[in-house]
Amino acid sequence: MSALAEAAPRRAARFAFDRNAIDASLWLPVGVVLFLLVFFSLATDSFATLRNFTAISGQAGTLLIACLGGTFVILMGSIDLSVGAVVLLGGAMSVTLLNHTPLGFATIPAVALLGGLLGLVNGTIYTWGRIPSFIVTLGTLSVFSGLALTILDGRAIQFDLDGFETIAIGQLVPHLPNIAFWALVAWAVVVVIASRTRFGRYMYLIGGGETVARTAGVPVTRYKIYAFMLSGVLAGIGAVLSVARLGAAGPSLGTDLLLNSLAAIVVGGTSLSGGIGGPHRTLIGVLIIAILDNGLNLMGVSQYSQMVVKGLVVIAAVLVSRDRSRTTVVK
Amino acid sequence: MSPHSQIPPAPTSVTPLFKAHGLTKSFGPNVILDGVEFEVPRKAIVTFVGENGAGKSTLFNLLSGIVAPDAGSMRLNGRDYRPHGYGEALRLGVSRVFQEQSLVGNVPVYENLLLGYEGRFTHAGQWLDRRAMIAAAEGIIEAAGIDVDVRRRTADYDFSKRQSIEIARACLATSHLGGIVEPFVLLDEPTSALDRRDEDAFFKLVTRIKGQGSLLFVSHRLTEVLAISDLIYVLKDGQLVARLDPATTDEKTLHGLMVGRERAADYYHERRQRPVTDGPALLGVRKLGRSGHFADVTLEVRPGEVVGIGGLLDSGKSALGKALAGVEPAEHGTVSFVSGPPEIPDIRSQVRKGLGYVPAERLTEGMIPAFSVAWNISLASGADLFAGPLGWWRRRRELATAARYAKEMSIRSATPAQRCARLSGGNQQKVVLARWLCRQPKLLVLDNPTRGVDAGAKEEIYRLIRDLTDQGVGVLLITDELLELIGLSDRILIMQRGSIVTEVAAPPDAKPTERELVTFMLPRSGTPGRSAVHQIPETLQ
Repeated sequence: MSALAEAAPRRAARFAFDRNAIDASLWLPVGVVLFLLVFFSLATDSFATLRNFTAISGQAGTLLIACLGGTFVILMGSIDLSVGAVVLLGGAMSVTLLNHTPLGFATIPAVALLGGLLGLVNGTIYTWGRIPSFIVTLGTLSVFSGLALTILDGRAIQFDLDGFETIAIGQLVPHLPNIAFWALVAWAVVVVIASRTRFGRYMYLIGGGETVARTAGVPVTRYKIYAFMLSGVLAGIGAVLSVARLGAAGPSLGTDLLLNSLAAIVVGGTSLSGGIGGPHRTLIGVLIIAILDNGLNLMGVSQYSQMVVKGLVVIAAVLVSRDRSRTTVVK
Repeated sequence: MSPHSQIPPAPTSVTPLFKAHGLTKSFGPNVILDGVEFEVPRKAIVTFVGENGAGKSTLFNLLSGIVAPDAGSMRLNGRDYRPHGYGEALRLGVSRVFQEQSLVGNVPVYENLLLGYEGRFTHAGQWLDRRAMIAAAEGIIEAAGIDVDVRRRTADYDFSKRQSIEIARACLATSHLGGIVEPFVLLDEPTSALDRRDEDAFFKLVTRIKGQGSLLFVSHRLTEVLAISDLIYVLKDGQLVARLDPATTDEKTLHGLMVGRERAADYYHERRQRPVTDGPALLGVRKLGRSGHFADVTLEVRPGEVVGIGGLLDSGKSALGKALAGVEPAEHGTVSFVSGPPEIPDIRSQVRKGLGYVPAERLTEGMIPAFSVAWNISLASGADLFAGPLGWWRRRRELATAARYAKEMSIRSATPAQRCARLSGGNQQKVVLARWLCRQPKLLVLDNPTRGVDAGAKEEIYRLIRDLTDQGVGVLLITDELLELIGLSDRILIMQRGSIVTEVAAPPDAKPTERELVTFMLPRSGTPGRSAVHQIPETLQ
């Protein structure tokens, strides 16, 4: 743990223009991934197998897609707690659209659009109402989940469209489930958006100094809404893909995403105070969470103990990344 | 106590309550206080007057333990006084009323009055004895002579009542509960936010408290200072220049002592100041107002002109700058900029039309210290830097722009990738200016553009302002630095309590003096708002 503690000030201090992607502090989470790989390989025989890596990438796919938009939201200094609920509602809508409309594969853009609208709701209430995003998305988390469970009537509903599952569990690349493939594509696109477009730049500026950005004429409110919409769109896509992967949408869809998505983003190295980090780091965070989940399962650690471990990992990650000397009041 | 009880004169009555010896404090290369020596007699009101930046706030920070002096010593009650932090100062009997109120709004008044003394009213360490607390608080309120129900919520009272509560706490809670016999209270511009009626109550309160301990004031209002002080010290550029008896001095003398530095015309490039032709106005402001900040402001800025705005800290000049830039929009009146229609502007449209705004608070509003020089320069850039509907970032162009301005303005940083936090104040301010220069602005609204900037960088910024006006850029200069205001401006508008009260021409061959400007900034003795102050001594007699 002392190595982690020593790395803390460097992470807080370093924010290099254009070299953000190869920041030295990136190596800490990468080191954790390598450590976990070695540890679980030694601890259990079944971990370091091609089959298991395929399984891990399938699990990590949904998480990665769902986290990417949330990374922008955290990067600009807000938080989106409703990602899991958007996935649940998106999943419920997916099976409904697949079973009761002739949309077929067009369900994918339809649910993505729905996610965008849900994000628009979050962003609009947050910016116009001047309510902390934490509260807004905690509220919509409950609203979206309630709507989804009403649609599902509390049951798991299977879809009946032959071949739809291949978008998630087929393998365009051998041994890599399509859901992981699409997640990596989405990750690459989002990384480019973050580092090469005005939208990405504004996310950093708003997170790093909202007042400064406003004073310079940056349309802060509009871009905050865009960030929540992007978070919703990606959660929507994640929803369709995980429905395709599981063959059904059930009441538990997306419930583990609330903690897992925040954990992956923060463990990856995007600061909760905003302005530092980025989606390129979220990939590493997702790997840490997915490997941890999978490895602990294989070791036979109970579901309940896993909850304890994961909670501790998140707190440790924030402890390491936070520059406590600059924080006077914590709420 | 019998009327005949013989109380021997305490030996402490000869030693002053507080004595400072050779107090010196510098921040970096700037000497803020330079060997300041003074004393505060017992049961007296002592006032420090001086210009902005004379060192008054730093002096208060030293006395209240918030910063430690580089050299010098202080004695309180004849004992060595060297507090580490405000908490210790408070325990030793020095309390301070801060400019911004420090009461908790949502709790009853008595809880605020006894804040920090709850331990005296507990049973078994935790159970608060509410009745005893209320009784103690009522004792304080009664001693202060203010009309407040201690059981009511603090936020229910208006600003001036809350200030009275705060002063009562600072002065009396220490003596009633803290075991301090003679409290020493520091008051920083206590009346700046009070209206005339409240001032009356304030002076009564202060006079009552004077019977218990001593008060140290900082104030800009010289009439008020003369009316209530027993002793006046004048601070100028960190040095004590006078110790005066208010009975034998007047406002004019005080002004003269506060200001009167030499102005080097070269430093402000005054010879480059050109007469402004009577062309169409670049910026036309009509009856602009924002409640609580400024009202009925009408002014014009023509191309190539530097219009200075001066006034005391609470005169509303910074709020006016924010409204003209559209950062905190006005509520009434109109602004027309370039050829646009008269409107209440917002920052986005102003920036689009060619306005640049440099706020006074550089580190929280002007720039993002954690980000690079290049990012901070390109902060206000739009389509030129982010191309196409996707807003594709043109990295090379950004780097080239940053590098060019860093060179032209001699921003001394290794690379455009350097984090701004590591730059000096002067270089940081140049980065903020470069942000607007790279957009070819038509008008710059500058709020204290050289605050926290060293002398060399100041001169460079002044030269830059002249370069810009040569090219026909209009400049609205809001500043607390009188010499800068005089040296740079073509015309100077003086604000007082939210209104423009005077316009002073400042051509290169006939610049006004600091003394003249200060006279305009300070509320005139004859104005109705001030007359109440003059009546105070009579009502107290």
